[in-house]
Amino acid sequence: MDELYLENIDEFVNDHNKIVTYKWLSLTLGVHVNTAKQMLYHYLENKRKESSPELHATYLVSGKLVDKGQTCHKVSVVREDQLEDFKSKMNLIVSVHIYSVQKALLKDSSPLYNVDYDALKDNLKNCSRYSAIQCSKAVPMSPVELQQARETERAPASAPESQKLGVSSGSSVASKPSAKTQKGIVAMFAKQPTPKNQESSKPEQREESPMLEVPPNKQASKTNSVENFFGKKPDKPLKEVQSSAAVGQRGQSSPPVEKQEPAAVEPQKDTKTDSRSKSKRIEASDSEEEKMEKKKRRRIKRPEPDSSDEDVIPDSPQPLETREPSPLKKEATVQLSQGNSETKIRKRRRVLKPRVFLDEEGCMVTEKEYVSESYSETEDDVPAPKNAPRDAKAKLPSSSKEEVKKSQKKSSSSSHKGTKQASITGFFQKK
Amino acid sequence: MTTLTRQDLNFGQVVADILCEFLEVAIHLILYVREVYPSGIFQKKKKYNVPVQMSCHPGLNQYIQDTLHCIKPLIEKNDAEKVVVVIMDKEHHPVERFVFEISQPPVVSISAETLLSHVEQLLRAFILKISVCDAVLNNNPPGCSFTVLVHTREAATRNMEKVQVIKDFPWIVADEQEVQMKESRLIPLKSMTSDIVKVSLKLWKVLTRPVLCVLLNYLVVSYSNTSAFFVHLSQMQLYVEERAQKT
Repeated sequence: MDELYLENIDEFVNDHNKIVTYKWLSLTLGVHVNTAKQMLYHYLENKRKESSPELHATYLVSGKLVDKGQTCHKVSVVREDQLEDFKSKMNLIVSVHIYSVQKALLKDSSPLYNVDYDALKDNLKNCSRYSAIQCSKAVPMSPVELQQARETERAPASAPESQKLGVSSGSSVASKPSAKTQKGIVAMFAKQPTPKNQESSKPEQREESPMLEVPPNKQASKTNSVENFFGKKPDKPLKEVQSSAAVGQRGQSSPPVEKQEPAAVEPQKDTKTDSRSKSKRIEASDSEEEKMEKKKRRRIKRPEPDSSDEDVIPDSPQPLETREPSPLKKEATVQLSQGNSETKIRKRRRVLKPRVFLDEEGCMVTEKEYVSESYSETEDDVPAPKNAPRDAKAKLPSSSKEEVKKSQKKSSSSSHKGTKQASITGFFQKK
Repeated sequence: MTTLTRQDLNFGQVVADILCEFLEVAIHLILYVREVYPSGIFQKKKKYNVPVQMSCHPGLNQYIQDTLHCIKPLIEKNDAEKVVVVIMDKEHHPVERFVFEISQPPVVSISAETLLSHVEQLLRAFILKISVCDAVLNNNPPGCSFTVLVHTREAATRNMEKVQVIKDFPWIVADEQEVQMKESRLIPLKSMTSDIVKVSLKLWKVLTRPVLCVLLNYLVVSYSNTSAFFVHLSQMQLYVEERAQKT
């Protein structure tokens, strides 16, 4: 057996200081993924025996977990130090294999995704060439079929059909039994127990099957849930809702889904945070389209905070950095954020915030709650600066944004602090 | 396929925008990876199609944005030679320096081959490198702070003092103490060259005493190998002498 691969991996890990994931290794060396996993395992074993400079590894654990009586299938990427702990929590472990080897101790899972991104992009047509997941019927659609699929997506489909699609979607994580029995929006929430338990690990839900298939399926199922409430709607808001709901469902920042939501994220984030004042906003909004989007989001998003899913919530704190000019939505942003300081939205946001931070380190729970509470006064400032990077290029709303920020700061500072401190914050507002 | 020159497109502005966006993401990521601020203030956001950690603290964000807003005119005119993110300990001695060396080719012509996606790919690689840089670094002492330095020309400095780009956000000439790091080693992290800009990221890390013992053994063994080690060895000798004097 040629030992050349060990030297190759050694070169990647030690000399280039790369993160070597099994997927990247299989595409680079041109081997089957299972071979790549074994290579990494042997490499790690050898290095551990030699007691050379410290290497860290992450593992992919997949199995069944019973949470509050509901069984769900969970797939997670965990660090080595959290591995045993995680395995002990699972009822049945289906597979454990090494995910990556690197020199650095990773604090979060973003670099793992970054590593595979470019490798996959280069091999987009045959990224599953070395994959262990095979399906003879999974072939890319011809353009004609693609067109037909898009048209059927728009037309309302029946609920049982949507459930079938939801169930047959690739290897992404899903609580399959519950998807069958529950309908529409409720089906979306049933999947939440899965990410909820990933507090002590680095959750990442990978899709190995062609990613294109999965989003249309999910979109179709979400379409139906939305349709149930509102009937036929124009395409654009629908697609945005679908993609945003789909992201909410998966609770991950995976790009294929987020690719579809660049336009959706902005209004979604804003509307989500003041859903209670929707009645006011609807009159103030600029376009009918906005109104419909907000209505939909109110229905979809409102029950979400009741569930304790931290991964679903980050739709709002993940506004895209890509600056897409959309003046309509930005104006709506300004109005919405103005409304924040006056209405009861603070409580709502306070509930949302901690969940966002919990997913990184479970042990920081209390600290995070405190952090979020302290934001309650200045919380109105948080969406404003977040909006600011997005609006940096749009000069029109930027001045109005500064005014909004100023008014928010003034109102927040005057509401809780004395006159002295109000003047201090006033000093800083000159920008 | 027309080639556009720098003047045609107000090229400097485009490059400056791209670079400032990148620097903002890079600074946030450095603060996260080096644990300058608690990781609770960071959230995952998306840039160049990959997740990055960005702070959501308004004060910090505003500071970084103002800093970059002031740097942008310098980059537009190709005056900024280096942008340095210095991490300092409690006594304001620099512990680490992340040096972004930026240069733009004097005569640039972009064609259809210069795609933004290519530039994004290169910048993605930077982000990945920053994420794994703590493999070669020790942990920082607690209570670190950071600052941003810009190396530029004297004329540009005078301009900056004259015209405050952002009111109440003055730039001052940096102290010698902040600029120079004694006893440091250089770790090149990444460099990229494209048609429009050339960026390289180097990391300077202060050598701390405990590390030296390990290094000494290593270097004694490998002294005979290549001339590259001479540099390290000379630094090492410096330390050996110091230790001898003390004992």
